[in-house]
Amino acid sequence: MAENREPRGVVEAELDPVEYTLRKRLPHRLPRRPNDIYVNMKTDFKAQLARCQKLLDGGTRGQNACTEIYIHGLGLAINRAINIALQLQAGSFGSLQVAANTSTVELVDELEPETDTREPLTRIRNNSAIHIRVFRVTPK
Amino acid sequence: MSNAKERKHAKKMRNQPTNVTLSSGFVADRGVKHRNRGGKPFQAQRQEPHYGTSRQRQTKMTPHSLLEPDVNEPSSSKVMFKKKGGWKAGPEGTSQEIPKYITASTFAQARAAEISAMLKAVTQKSSNSLVFQTLPRHMRRRAMSHNVKRLPRRLQEIAQKEAEKAVHQKKEHSKNKCHKARRCHINRMLEFNRRQKKNIWLETHIWHAKRFHMVKKWGYCLGERPTAKSHRACYRAMTQHCLLQDLSYYCCLELKGREEEILKALSQMCSIDTGLTFAAVHCLSGKRQGSVMLYRANKYPREMLGPVTFIWKSEMIPGDTSESRQLWIWLHPAVKQDILEEIKAVCQCTEPIKSTVCIPELLTSSQEKNHTELPDEKIGKKRKRKGDGENTKPIKKVVGDGTRDPCQPYSWISPATGIIISDLTMEMNRFRLIGPLSHSILTEALKVASVHTGGEDAEKTPHRWWIETCENPGSISLHRRQEAVFELLGGITSPAEIPAGTILGLTVGDPRVNLPQKKSKALSNPEKCQDNEKVRQLLLEGVPVECTHSFIWNQDICKSVTENKISDQDLNRKRSELLVPGSQLVLGPHESKIPILLIQQPGKMTGEDQLGWGSGWDVLLPKGWGMAFWIPFIYRGARVGGLKEAAVHSQYKRSPNIPGDFPDCPAGILFAEEQAKTLLEKYKRRPPAKRPNYVKLGTVAPFCCPWEHLTQDWESRVQAQEESSAASSPNGEETDLRRHMVPCVPTPEKTHQLSNEVGTSVNDPREPEEVMDTDCQDQAGTKMVMYPDAGENHVAAANSQLFVLRSRKLLKQLSAWCGPCSEESRAARRAPGRGQQELTREACLSIMDHFPRALVWVSLSLLRKGSPEPHTMICVPAKEDLLQLSQDQHYCGPQEAKHSDLFKRKILKQKEKKKLEKRQNRGCATSEGLGAGDPATGQEALTLGLWSGPLPRVTSHCSRVLLGFVTQGDFSMAVGHGEALGFVSLTGLLDMLSSQPPAQRGLVLLRPPASVQYRFSRVAIEV
Repeated sequence: MAENREPRGVVEAELDPVEYTLRKRLPHRLPRRPNDIYVNMKTDFKAQLARCQKLLDGGTRGQNACTEIYIHGLGLAINRAINIALQLQAGSFGSLQVAANTSTVELVDELEPETDTREPLTRIRNNSAIHIRVFRVTPK
Repeated sequence: MSNAKERKHAKKMRNQPTNVTLSSGFVADRGVKHRNRGGKPFQAQRQEPHYGTSRQRQTKMTPHSLLEPDVNEPSSSKVMFKKKGGWKAGPEGTSQEIPKYITASTFAQARAAEISAMLKAVTQKSSNSLVFQTLPRHMRRRAMSHNVKRLPRRLQEIAQKEAEKAVHQKKEHSKNKCHKARRCHINRMLEFNRRQKKNIWLETHIWHAKRFHMVKKWGYCLGERPTAKSHRACYRAMTQHCLLQDLSYYCCLELKGREEEILKALSQMCSIDTGLTFAAVHCLSGKRQGSVMLYRANKYPREMLGPVTFIWKSEMIPGDTSESRQLWIWLHPAVKQDILEEIKAVCQCTEPIKSTVCIPELLTSSQEKNHTELPDEKIGKKRKRKGDGENTKPIKKVVGDGTRDPCQPYSWISPATGIIISDLTMEMNRFRLIGPLSHSILTEALKVASVHTGGEDAEKTPHRWWIETCENPGSISLHRRQEAVFELLGGITSPAEIPAGTILGLTVGDPRVNLPQKKSKALSNPEKCQDNEKVRQLLLEGVPVECTHSFIWNQDICKSVTENKISDQDLNRKRSELLVPGSQLVLGPHESKIPILLIQQPGKMTGEDQLGWGSGWDVLLPKGWGMAFWIPFIYRGARVGGLKEAAVHSQYKRSPNIPGDFPDCPAGILFAEEQAKTLLEKYKRRPPAKRPNYVKLGTVAPFCCPWEHLTQDWESRVQAQEESSAASSPNGEETDLRRHMVPCVPTPEKTHQLSNEVGTSVNDPREPEEVMDTDCQDQAGTKMVMYPDAGENHVAAANSQLFVLRSRKLLKQLSAWCGPCSEESRAARRAPGRGQQELTREACLSIMDHFPRALVWVSLSLLRKGSPEPHTMICVPAKEDLLQLSQDQHYCGPQEAKHSDLFKRKILKQKEKKKLEKRQNRGCATSEGLGAGDPATGQEALTLGLWSGPLPRVTSHCSRVLLGFVTQGDFSMAVGHGEALGFVSLTGLLDMLSSQPPAQRGLVLLRPPASVQYRFSRVAIEV
């Protein structure tokens, strides 16, 4: 960790838009299970909510229904992830429970040089993420 | 009789014999008889109106007379006539008279002629259907076409004849060997070898030919698109699974020599303005793949040759500059010839080297001779293969380039610089895997080669190079490290997480050995996905430089690997000899070890959304191993795409497609011409009423993009604007002065001199600082740095052809201007920090002055509905359009008013003239020569609905001013609405941006060539 931090300071000192172009890379993610939902800010909120609801409900007769789903939100989408989870819970008449975890995700920014003599650089940036487990409980 | 009826009748009568001519004496007689025929009242009625008027017609109508019985007694006819007269009393009916007498001889003669005609009509088949097809349905039998005896006896003879004819026709097509002989392996191979003489076949050709629509392009036979309906499936494969493409048709040029010599030579062909060049540090070390735009030497920014990607071989001992370096330049076959010639010229490589590559070609040519001899032998006898006895050499499959001429050189050396250029086209296979599952497919399909340990059977194995490598502990440890990195890849879910252009060398075992029994789908393994330090290291820094080493760089090893490949047959036999069927085949030291190179291909790098879309890996293999890797990839669940999928990929990635999106390079111009030709042909094939009338729609050029006209128009437009406002502006005089100065420059000697100057300025861009940028002193500081060499360029620019703007600094500036900057904060944040200029009239003017005829690559996304197609026009919205849009969010755009078709009258006139001529020709055969010569000398045939003659002012032809054209456009499944890519005139773009209100900056209108509806879209320039 420490050795990664060290060049970062150097980078910030010499960072110049004339010499470098910033390119954001995709966040590192784990393989998706069927009950993982990554929330983004581009898709319509209702569509994402419906998707979660569908996963929990399963088919017409309730087959393939997931007992738990995981809603992941990163950065700006944290709000939306929480919103979705709470909406799900509110609409379930108490049969759904939520459990949230937060984490920090390391994001990689690539700095592409504009001149031939410079090496491309990478910066690590941290961003917060939330992972909400929405699961079914048998109502007492 | 109505016109349609007449036509119908003529059609009916078409196949009747026409040789029946009757002497004029009979006409009256026949006419009468005709009417007398009460049995055919309808026909008689139909003919009635003509009787009085035209006699000529009746000669045409002769067939009617055939229907009559020969026995035609006046008495009976009289009766009939009476009857008919009672039935219908026409005025003509009574006017005609019944003949008083009949001359027997002439009457008999005429009847005889009719009879013979009738007989002929009966014997001659009128339609082009087969005999059994003419039978009524109830008389048809199964397999009639096959078995003559199933037909009624009277037709058997004719059917026999027909069948023979059919057989005869077929025989012409078929080969002179029976099916079984043709399927025989050796004959098939010969046939295949013969067929790849003209167009190069990829190694996966047979596989593709069974599943794809094949096209012949750029000297190759390539799969265009799958025959299955799979547009969406292929898109899904790109985004979620894995799409496989055979890119072996890409050409590779190898440059060998001292590093500084190569760099010095190639630096003339590229410019740092367009991005990193061959000398970029990370590329030079061999760690990453680079991409660069090549221009004719010292001609930047004009005379573009094409885009290429390149990889340097990593140095074995870093820092040793005396060492000979190896550089591979990968390029598209359409641009290859130009670039190869230019590189040869730049490196002064003139002396061809006779290489050993010729040997296999000689071999095949000898086989060819052998093959051509075969037909000379007696047909009918069982032919023995000649090669069995004397020619013990087995016939070999063509591997690599089948069209290569053995006498032609494929590598050249320069005596001065020592650089060796060799053309490695088709010496390697290049497969591209796109999509997130490409990692798991790669890790499952490829198994890293096992290290050779036992030394006892070292003599026997053909893979000496691998044994030798394994003796060296250093290379073994390197191999282990490569293996470790490769294993890590399996734990990364998307190739976009890895640094762009990462290279990984590898030596793998034979992928056919662990081919699964059934096609399966490789899924990423969650167990492998551990977020450990090693993965982090890989993501951050990429593959270490040493691990990029691969034996594929070594020609000798590649050759030995290709030659010592176990054939599929042998492999399968060994597999069948296994004691436990279906168990793992262990070849031990006999297993081939194949050196490969993996290159990460970055997906979408620019822009804001969909980052990393379409990223993947390219696999380079030595030739001959194509199918051995292809099938294992497919068995792991890769879907295969063709050229069309490649186009879709580049479109969704918003990157220009080669060669269609390079209008300033010769290959691009050629492509546009060909495209225009095919589109025109396609257009002409439709009837005029069923195709759009482009003249009426106001589309001047529906099949091509007239870039030259566009840029010229804009240049003169802006000039005119400025002249009108010159008096008011303070520095107008100076710009005017320059304007006037410019046109007098283009004299041939001077341009030559100028180009030299430009050359020097490109070499040393900092030198010409004393440019005449006097009119924009206020921003000179930033300006000078922005395009230091532009000052001299612009003089040359004024008189030269168009080019595409690729200077990154300028593009960045433009892209900042394109977006709407309604929020003050955003603008404020951007402006001071990055040294960006504000969009001012002066700034625009100075850019316009420097690049009067430049095009800019833009991406357009539609605001609402509509999906643009190629050649869609990009137009400047008028003020009222923007106003209306701001008032009504659902406003979809203005409509183009109908234009009048100027050419319709001309076409009609031409047609009439032709008709007249035809009639004249028919009348007097003597004037035929004159008539035929006439239309040829006149104007070329006009096509209804197309603009002919020189184009008018393209920009102001329609109600909205034209800005540019779309080159790729479709509904984008990646973003969910229509998206387009195209070029706009730089002058026009700046003019538009500076006049638009900041809140709605960057809005344009799109109109497809066959529509009147304009639709709003937003321009973005992505750098």
